Amino acid sequence: MKIESREIDGAVVVALSGEVDLQHSPSVRKHLMDLMFERRPVVVDMASVDYIDSSGIASLVEAYQMARKNGTRFILAAISAPAMRVLQLARLDKVFALADTVEAGLQA
Amino acid sequence: MRILERPNTLPASLADDLDLIAEMTADFARSLDIEETLRIGIAHISTRMEAEAASIFLMEPETGDLVCRACWGPTDVSGLRLPKGQGIVWRAVNRNATELVKDTSDDPDFSHKVDANTGFITRSILCAPMSVRDERLGAIELFNKKGGGSFDGDDRRVLQALAASAALALINARQATAMAEQQALKRELALAADIQRAMLPPARPPEFPIHGINLAARGVSGDFFDVVELKDGKLAFAIADVSGKGMNAALLMAKTASLFRCLAKRLDGPGAVLAAIDAELAETSSAGMFVTMIAGVLDPATGTVTLANAGHEPPLLCCGAKMDRIDDGMPPLGIVPELFAQGCPETTLQLNGGALYLFTDGLTEAGGTDSMLGADGVAARLTPHRMRPAPDRLRALVGGIVEDGMALKDDLTMVVVEDCRTAPVMNRQYQARPASLAAIRRALTPALERLGCPSQMVPDVVLAVDEACQNIIRHAYGGGEGELIIQVRGDSEMLDIRLIDFAPPINPAMVCPRDLDDIRPGGLGTHFIRSVMDEVEFLAPPPGAGNLLRLAKRMGMGGP
Repeated sequence: MKIESREIDGAVVVALSGEVDLQHSPSVRKHLMDLMFERRPVVVDMASVDYIDSSGIASLVEAYQMARKNGTRFILAAISAPAMRVLQLARLDKVFALADTVEAGLQA
Repeated sequence: MRILERPNTLPASLADDLDLIAEMTADFARSLDIEETLRIGIAHISTRMEAEAASIFLMEPETGDLVCRACWGPTDVSGLRLPKGQGIVWRAVNRNATELVKDTSDDPDFSHKVDANTGFITRSILCAPMSVRDERLGAIELFNKKGGGSFDGDDRRVLQALAASAALALINARQATAMAEQQALKRELALAADIQRAMLPPARPPEFPIHGINLAARGVSGDFFDVVELKDGKLAFAIADVSGKGMNAALLMAKTASLFRCLAKRLDGPGAVLAAIDAELAETSSAGMFVTMIAGVLDPATGTVTLANAGHEPPLLCCGAKMDRIDDGMPPLGIVPELFAQGCPETTLQLNGGALYLFTDGLTEAGGTDSMLGADGVAARLTPHRMRPAPDRLRALVGGIVEDGMALKDDLTMVVVEDCRTAPVMNRQYQARPASLAAIRRALTPALERLGCPSQMVPDVVLAVDEACQNIIRHAYGGGEGELIIQVRGDSEMLDIRLIDFAPPINPAMVCPRDLDDIRPGGLGTHFIRSVMDEVEFLAPPPGAGNLLRLAKRMGMGGP
């Protein structure tokens, strides 16, 4: 699994790729929470997520809750089919702010 | 006058002597070929000590003779052999003391033989033995002080010091050589053990019907097992134990293993294979060595096993709670060729969903005569591991014996032959840790596909099993060390997945899905499991296990 961050127009685009499972979700959580503590607007690029489990979803949920509290932007963008399936199973597809593309997420 | 040439606080002669000793000691210490150094050294010593001639004698270990290995002077006596007891050299060696003979005509021990042969006239001798602790290595002998005088007490002390350092150097060199030889032998043994291990069949996936394990008590082994795929889809297998241990047993094992590999594909049935191996071994093997061996053929399609046993431990057939010893058999191979002239009788048996265990006496005799494991002991030790996939089961059983301090006195080999018709399509054991999850998902996907699981269903089931494994890792083991087993079975109706762990039993009532309106992290995994699977239940775990979770799903129903 890989986590890559880049800054675009003052927001941070965090691209996750590979398998976000129990082995790797702690590093995803830490990465996102650090950005939340800095109150940075974040767009998570999920186009290359091949797999995500409950622990990966939990990391996203925690960051989302923190962003809501802070009033900062936290958007899941370009969600891959396997990741979308898991979001639907968790019925969180209606909870998160979603965007079809990273560009759309940045403009939201 | 030398004292004028080299003004020094020490008397000039003593300074020279110390120089010589220091120089020679340094030469000896750094020498790789000590005898070569002695040859060069002797010229140096003779010149500095003003001797007309000198010889170095070394004790020949095989004969106990003193042999001249280096000499300097007008006559060449190298190779001269002095049998025990002759002359001044032997006196020095026997007394382990430096001998100073100022006039040879006064000394009854002086032998004139050498002078008579060489024409050299020996007037005086200084001879220092070389020894370290009680080991006598030889002696350095100087002849005739130049200028007609005799050697004196100072010369004696100098030569004594030189001889002592030469002796140490000799011992060091010998020990270095011995060590190098030992290292070379060790390397060769390790190499032989490597080659032997390479003769064992490769590890196959846990779902393969035949598995084996071999533990050598020393580097090389007198045991072997093999599995050979036959053209008709059947599998030929064998286990054997060569009498004796060590290198000779290993070599006979290599021969027997090659014969089996070659004959199993050509001959019809295990009886014919054993008879042919017997004929070959009886013709060529060395006296007193024999081989106990079982050869067999499994037909995976019917679960039928044909066995032939030549003097080997009876195998155990385990079917449910029942354990039977398959006791038919012949004497060992390689003893009397006529015994197998009529072939070797075969036994046919049905696995009936069970497993056949073959083992060498290294297993039954582990622990020595007082606590010999015996076939019943093997059966008892097998019970707590029966739910494990075959390779892990063999490792657990053998590991348990080694852990219990039952010393491996003999090579230990075990083979299991299973009825794969009733076996799960996936049956794997993993370490219960997050790093195993990726491997679990990768093994699970093809297993589900093999069962005909609809493609849209596969990722959901993989997620559910992953989540159930996470619960075992995080909750059942609580982050501690442990193992988990995943068994996947199924038919066109129902997919049946079982997760077995060895953690303390957990209370199923405590495992509940979270309320979905509450978006706190946690509890989500159990929700995934319950939404994907149709049935989720804890069953009574098999003996030795902690928990057994069954996840089932009707096939062809698609996602929820």
